[in-house]
Amino acid sequence: MTTTAATTTTPVVGFDQVSKVYGDVRAVDGLSLSLHPGETVALLGPNGAGKSTTLDLLLGLRQPDSGQVRVFGTGPREAIVAGRVGAMLQSGGLMDEVTVAELVRLACALHPKSYPVGEVLSRAGISQIADRKVDKLSGGQAQRVRFALATAGDSDLIVLDEPTTGMDVTARQAFWATMREQADQGRTVLFATHYLEEADAIADRVLVLHRGRLLADGTAAEIKAKAGARRVSFDLEGTVDEAPLRALPFLTSLDVSGHTVRIQSSDADATVHALYGLGVYPRNLEVSGLGLEQAFVAITQAEEAKQS
Amino acid sequence: MNSLIKLELTRALRNRKFLFFSVIYPSALFLLIAGNADSSAEVDGTGLTLPTYMMVSMASFGALTAVLMGNSERIAKERESGWVRQLRLTTLPGRGYVLAKTAGAAVVSLPSIVIVFVVAALVKDVRLDAWQWLALTGAIWAGSLVFAALGVALGYLASGDAVRPITMLTYFGLSILGGLWMPTTTFPQWLQDIAEWLPTHAYAAIGRAIEQCRAPQTQDIAILAVFFVLFAGGAAWLYRKDTLKA
Repeated sequence: MTTTAATTTTPVVGFDQVSKVYGDVRAVDGLSLSLHPGETVALLGPNGAGKSTTLDLLLGLRQPDSGQVRVFGTGPREAIVAGRVGAMLQSGGLMDEVTVAELVRLACALHPKSYPVGEVLSRAGISQIADRKVDKLSGGQAQRVRFALATAGDSDLIVLDEPTTGMDVTARQAFWATMREQADQGRTVLFATHYLEEADAIADRVLVLHRGRLLADGTAAEIKAKAGARRVSFDLEGTVDEAPLRALPFLTSLDVSGHTVRIQSSDADATVHALYGLGVYPRNLEVSGLGLEQAFVAITQAEEAKQS
Repeated sequence: MNSLIKLELTRALRNRKFLFFSVIYPSALFLLIAGNADSSAEVDGTGLTLPTYMMVSMASFGALTAVLMGNSERIAKERESGWVRQLRLTTLPGRGYVLAKTAGAAVVSLPSIVIVFVVAALVKDVRLDAWQWLALTGAIWAGSLVFAALGVALGYLASGDAVRPITMLTYFGLSILGGLWMPTTTFPQWLQDIAEWLPTHAYAAIGRAIEQCRAPQTQDIAILAVFFVLFAGGAAWLYRKDTLKA
């Protein structure tokens, strides 16, 4: 991440204390964040975390109740009219009774910096189905058409709301390969997802959203570290004395059941080293990584514990 | 915006069901009603033969079908599917979608008007001066904008399963009570008093005035203008409400 460059250039996206309320629900609650050029950012959170509302506010589809949303230093609508934003909505319906090629041609015609239609089709991997009617597509194919609409021109920011919904594993992998090409061309990419492995594998920055608030902001590795990145488990003979274990360095959680000890540690190497220093003989020692999913659950639980 | 209008047109012309209803159906209905009528029999107090009278009714009906049905159901459906939202992420100006829909419907309504005229002239020997044919086409086509605005308003008012019955009710209500299917002179007096104030009645009356070689009545023009302002204003208001809701 180029934080030094970020402070000198206009942020791609800037949220300043943005809130959006629906009735009693604070869908987005005092959210402040900024995205910088070239970043690939995952907006991660469970259903109802406020991801879609955040993207709607970013794209100007909804107006914030308070706070300010800036895109390339202007309002969202101005940025879209300037052709700087391409977006794919989760709820983005398609015009039916027209062919895929006709729809993509329309998207190209409406983009001020459009690519040739054939290029857009082939990049989205839909050249084969260009003559098919839009209403005859499978869920995954329709997602690719939506992706083509979002990438019809040379936009600087691509926004994708749950882009791989309805795709099988192969299609999903192919999709992310396509999207990486977009990021490699220097574009800023923001995608919302609850496929946590996607955020881990694709994004170089992860924003964790929970109840409309930003819970964590960092690399996938940093977020894992925040929640206790590795799990250490082992067996001890005799009665287990918890006090010295609890004092181990970098330990974030301890769970003893019978002879089995399970530890989460933000620096497993140091924790295990200190463990041997206690003079015990751990058997069946295992050190395993925590997926982002578990890290995410841990952060969310910590937040909920703080609130209650 | 032209690209969207072009695509809306391509689609409208491809949809056989829609084409049948808006282009063929009015002509078929004309033949059904006026087909066996005596070509010299006049409709009470108009000085027009039944085929001449019904020709304007059915041309108006055809235009009404094309613009009302074309707009309301599609807008409601595409609002729900999220296509309208997707379009808001393009450079298309806010009203571009509604304008493209209306333009698309208007292009379909033109053949439906012309085909009724052709059928009436060929099959029922309706004869008018050249300027009358042109003026009729222009007046009926332009007047259909009133109902295009109504279609847009209905499309933003209702959604899902409600839009079809509401559209149908409005469509048949306006067609029948406005005297597009049969002369209102056959109605009881109290119904005639109501029918006189309907936009469809004024719409057809303007067409018949052209057939009678006289200037349209100010009242009819005023009624159409008021309804246009009502429908367009309603559509604009509903459109804004829908946009804020996202």
